[in-house]
Amino acid sequence: MTTDQENDDRAFKRDLLASLPNLRAFAVSLTGRHDKADDLVQDTIMKAWANQKSFTAGTNMRAWLFTILRNEFYSQMRKRGREVQDSDGLFSERFSVHPEQYGRLDLQDFRKALDTLPDDQREAIILVGAAGFAYEEAATICGCAVGTIKSRVSRARTRLQEILGVSGEGDFGPDPGDAAITARAFGS
Amino acid sequence: MSEDETRNKEKMNTPQSSNFRPGAMLPNASISRKLREFYDAVQEEGIPDRFLDLLERLEEAEKSAESANAK
Repeated sequence: MTTDQENDDRAFKRDLLASLPNLRAFAVSLTGRHDKADDLVQDTIMKAWANQKSFTAGTNMRAWLFTILRNEFYSQMRKRGREVQDSDGLFSERFSVHPEQYGRLDLQDFRKALDTLPDDQREAIILVGAAGFAYEEAATICGCAVGTIKSRVSRARTRLQEILGVSGEGDFGPDPGDAAITARAFGS
Repeated sequence: MSEDETRNKEKMNTPQSSNFRPGAMLPNASISRKLREFYDAVQEEGIPDRFLDLLERLEEAEKSAESANAK
């Protein structure tokens, strides 16, 4: 074993570790559950480790890991025979969030709203809006065109706005008292 | 004052238009903020021990495989 090899291995492990919190957050967003997410991350680590040689040192390790995790997620879903594409919104209806939850949003509500999105839209808005990837990187990870990612992000955003009852106004979460006053003031 | 009223009306009628501003990424502050909050909450949990253990085991397995090959 050469010293270069040892250095590469150390760098690989270091970068893998550094990417884990972000990768895990992505897994939680995909699966909706911590226990399943951690199983998925574990499978991803093992796959990544086994395919170390196919990773080009100096390239984007995070995008590489996300791609592995995403592929793993969908192949596991397929094996279990679950319908993954739901652009028609059937899944969304079953898990719809009720308007009573409008107003002050806590993360639980947001989580529920996120779960109502079709998988393709959810992953797109997570990758671009939270994980910090550019549209181009997200397109590579998802294996689709940049334009597809953009339209998924846009549809996801619109849907979340509808579910959560937020619009351009009131973005900064007025407390319910203020909201009532505002409603009265503009009600007549 | 009538100018203020006009502005208020404009404000009320145009909240949606900001969603379609070309080139703007996630213009809705609330949605993108909540998204990051949700995501960061998981990130801040750090790395569970099971993954650190796993990496250690993988490394050891690799080392012992290498020394076995070297013999």
